[in-house]
This record gives sequence, C-alpha cells and structure tokens, in this order.
Amino acid sequence: MSREEELHKGLSDAVVDMDEDLARELAQAVVDEGFDAYDAIEKGLSAGMEEVGRLYEEEEYFIPELLLCSDAMYAGIEILKPHIKKREDTVRHTVVIGVVEGDTHDIGKNLVKIMLESAGFDVIDLGRDIPAADFVRAAEEHQAEIIALATLMTTAMPAMREVLEVLEKEAKRGKFKVVVGGGPISPAFADKIGADVYAVNAAEAARLARELVSQGEAGK
Amino acid sequence: MEKTTREQVLAALRGEGAYPVAIHDGAQSAPLHRADTNSLRSQVAAISVCQYATYELMEKTGAFWPQAHYEAAPMARLAAGGATVIGLGAVRVPYCQTVEAEIYGAKIKDGGRTHIPSIAEHPYKLGDTPEIPADFVKKGRIPAILEAIRILKREVGEKAVVMGSIVGPFSVAANLVGISALLKASLRKPDSILPYIEAATETAQQYAAAVIEAGADALVIEDMMASLDMISPRTYRALAAPYETRVIASVGKRIPVIIHICGKLDQVMTDIAATGADAISVESAVDIPAARQKFDEAGIRTPIIGAVHPIRALLEGTPEDVAAEVRKSAADGVALISPDCAVAPNTPLANLQAMVEAAGALQERR
Repeated sequence: MSREEELHKGLSDAVVDMDEDLARELAQAVVDEGFDAYDAIEKGLSAGMEEVGRLYEEEEYFIPELLLCSDAMYAGIEILKPHIKKREDTVRHTVVIGVVEGDTHDIGKNLVKIMLESAGFDVIDLGRDIPAADFVRAAEEHQAEIIALATLMTTAMPAMREVLEVLEKEAKRGKFKVVVGGGPISPAFADKIGADVYAVNAAEAARLARELVSQGEAGK
Repeated sequence: MEKTTREQVLAALRGEGAYPVAIHDGAQSAPLHRADTNSLRSQVAAISVCQYATYELMEKTGAFWPQAHYEAAPMARLAAGGATVIGLGAVRVPYCQTVEAEIYGAKIKDGGRTHIPSIAEHPYKLGDTPEIPADFVKKGRIPAILEAIRILKREVGEKAVVMGSIVGPFSVAANLVGISALLKASLRKPDSILPYIEAATETAQQYAAAVIEAGADALVIEDMMASLDMISPRTYRALAAPYETRVIASVGKRIPVIIHICGKLDQVMTDIAATGADAISVESAVDIPAARQKFDEAGIRTPIIGAVHPIRALLEGTPEDVAAEVRKSAADGVALISPDCAVAPNTPLANLQAMVEAAGALQERR
C-alpha cells in the first residue's frame, strides 16, 4: 500500500470510527505531503461514509452513529476543500433538498444531505417547513436536476403532494426528477403523488440520485 | 350483556382476555383464530391513540385549528367528534406534541387552519442547565387541555374513554435541545443530556397527575423519538425506557397508560412492556405476531394496539383497504384497533368511519 493509499484508508476508517480528530489530522497530512485533495475526499472520506451507510442499512449503526461519522467526514472536508484543484471536466449535479411545509423535523433531510454530499452532489439545502413553491423556485434558480423532499410526519404529507402539483401546474414536471422519503412515506404514496423515486433511507437516496443523473447523462 | 364501546376499550386496556377475530369474512379470517360462538363476546372497538382531527371533522364539528389548539371549548368540540362523528371508542387531546416544549421556552410556529403547531426554535443548547418552570401545569396550553378533558368527560364520557396525551421524557428532551444534538450526545456524552431527560420526567409526572385530576380515563404517553428509527436498542434501554417507567410508576395504576412509540420496535418490545405500560400502541412497521409470541413466551400479557396504516390505508386507500388492514391487525393479535400514528388531516372521514365499522364487524374472543 502506498503512502497515499494508507492515508485514504486512514481517512475512511476515521469516518467509520467517528474519529473527528483523526480525520482532521490525516486530512492535514494529505495537504502537507502534497497529495490530491479531491482524491482524498472521494477515496477516503466518502468511501468511509459509504461504508457507514452500509452499516446503517444493516442496523449495525443507528442515526446517532451516522451523525458522528458525518461530523468526522466534514472535519476532513473542511481541511481538504481549499486545496481541491478545480476540474473543468467533471460535471457537477445539483440537488435541491428540504422538509416540506408543516414539518420542522429535519434529521432525515440532514442525513440525506450528508449522503448526497458524500456522493459528490452539490446540495442546496432549503431547510425545514418549506412551502411548495419555494422548492420549484430554488430548483430553477440553481439549475438543479433533482428535487428531494422529506417529511417525518403523516400530518405534513399533503404538503409533499403539493410540490408535485405546483410542478405539474407550471408545466415544469419534466425538468426535474423528484425523490421523496421519510418515516411515513411508502413507495405506493410516492407513486400516487407522481414522484420519480422513493428512497427508504439516506444511503439509498444517494444511490438512487446517482442513478437518476446517470440515466439523464445516458439520455443526452 | 352488550358492553358499551367505552367499556370495551377499558376492558381491553385492562388486558381482559380479548383478542379480536374476524368472523364475517370467511376467506380472510385465519382458521387458527376461529372461535366457537360461545366464547364470542361483544364487538371490538376502534380508537385512535394519536391525533385524529381532520379537515372534514372540523367542518362537521364546527371547531377548527388553530383555535382548537389553544382554547378549551373548540379543542373539546373537535375531539368529541372522534366519538360522535367517527365512532371511536376513545377521544383525546391535544393535537400536537409541542405543549411541554413551549412551556420550557421553545418558540412555536403556529400551523394555522391546516397544520399543527411545530417547534421553530429549541429553548436550550446542550450544556445549558434546564430549568423546570414553576407551576408547570398552570402554564401554556395545559390549563386549556385540562379544561377540555373536563368538558369531554361531561359531553362524551358516557360512551367514550377520555384520554389525555403527554409527550415522553426522551422526546421532550429532543424538543428542548434539538434531536441531532440529543442523538449525538446520546452516544458520546450521555451524561450531558440526562438533566434534560430528568427535567422532562419531572414535568411529565406533574402533567400526568393533572390529567388524572381533571378526570381523564386513560393517559397516552407519546414518545415518538424513542424509536429504533432514531436510536439503538441500547440507547432506548438507557435513556428512554427508565424514564418512561418512572412516569408510568407515578400514575400508580390510577388510570391505564398507553405508550405510543413510532416506527420500528421489534428489538425492544419486551423492554417497552417492562415499563409497566398497560398497553403498547405500535405502527405496522412492528412485527406484531412476533411480538405477541415473544410476550406469550415471557408470560407478558400487555395488550398491543394498532395498526392501520395512516397513509397507505386511511389517507390513500379505499374503505375496503381500511377494512382489510383492520382484519389483518386483528389476525396479528392486537387488542384494540387504532391507526399506526397521527392521522393526516386531509384523511377522508369515510375511511376513518370504515375503520370503526370494520372493527365492529370483528368479534372479541376470550
């Protein structure tokens, strides 16, 4: 294993082990020793987060673990980010995400945001309790390809449908893929309101989002 | 003799024997559950452990959000519609889960006519010392809720069980510092969140006592954040269950206590039973037959309540879909039929009525 691979492995492990300090230390080593910052994020921190997602799906890790792992990931990213050499060739994909109106529970949305960012998406986070029209406006403004909607509350589910209705009404439905998820949401509900995909958890949301944009690329 | 709906619910909460069985639908009912007619008693009641107010119910009762969140009279009128319009065997107040947090100083966003109030700003940052507000039950919306309980007892207390609903300590603590902060600390520095959970336990006991004093027939403890969707079984056992147990112990069997937790719970069902709750309300995410079997093996008689999906069946389904879920819940071994969780406010009234009707078509079996 080369020194660089060692650092990538170390970063990945630091994320899985929820070790913020180690993530920071190794990220600094990547910078000091002149290795590529982008690779360190992708092959180190993001790879670690992918493993975390797997542990979460297997019910080895729960949400508290996921949150602490992501803290470690962001600690590393913070150090690496200023050193990323801009790559003109890579296409960035943008997701607009938020919790629908009437719901202020944002933990699920935050987890999806973490997984999307670790999967390389640019994420525009609108926050929680967001009116339907704001999703559409933000998606247009940021030229997003995907709108991701979350809610934890059954009482806020009508507001999720509203976003799809606004898209239909303004004849913009074809411009965006819509991913929905959250505690009470089911695949049947996603179908019924006309969303493109339902994601059962944050790890799957990121995976599905990747599939959606690669379909888009293949179609171009 | 035919029991009234109210008596059916109270008997079920006492754990008196009954598992409902479907007898009218040959194809659907499991032969295993088919009882001889001698052991069949009265019909089975449906309740809604969590909120059930809908836009249609507001029209029918003439009591609307947001007034029904704040004022006793409309609060009671809307809740009473659960019995008089939907036909539920129990009514409940309030409609949201922000009452305790508001008294602790959380900023509340009003939901207007269509939504329930929600927490806009948490009152504390982890590390702050929580202060238990003096005269807790005289503050915020609690006096209106207690008055609504008294009105409900007068108006529908003969036919329906009147339930006061409070939020469990772990979930109140989540509302005080924010769920992310609470969850992270639950793993790294559990000691740092104990003061919040302790405070919430103290005020939950005071609130429960006031609910009993006001004349409620049953207490609901909603501990929605103590779900395995959020925390590990280990955290549930360390930071949620002991405090639920303390609140339930403080009720001291004066009235039955229903504990409601959202989401997955398979690994902690026996722990929840060990809190001393008189009944456990669960979502259909829980494997109810497996839980019943575990209970039987351990000699646990705690009734399970559920589990009609509020979205798949009640919001999006037909009355037939609802009836099918009622029969499935009965076959799975619930003692009382209830929606999984809070009913979405745009749920068709016809579907809620279909739930009650389908429950009535089941028969109780000793």
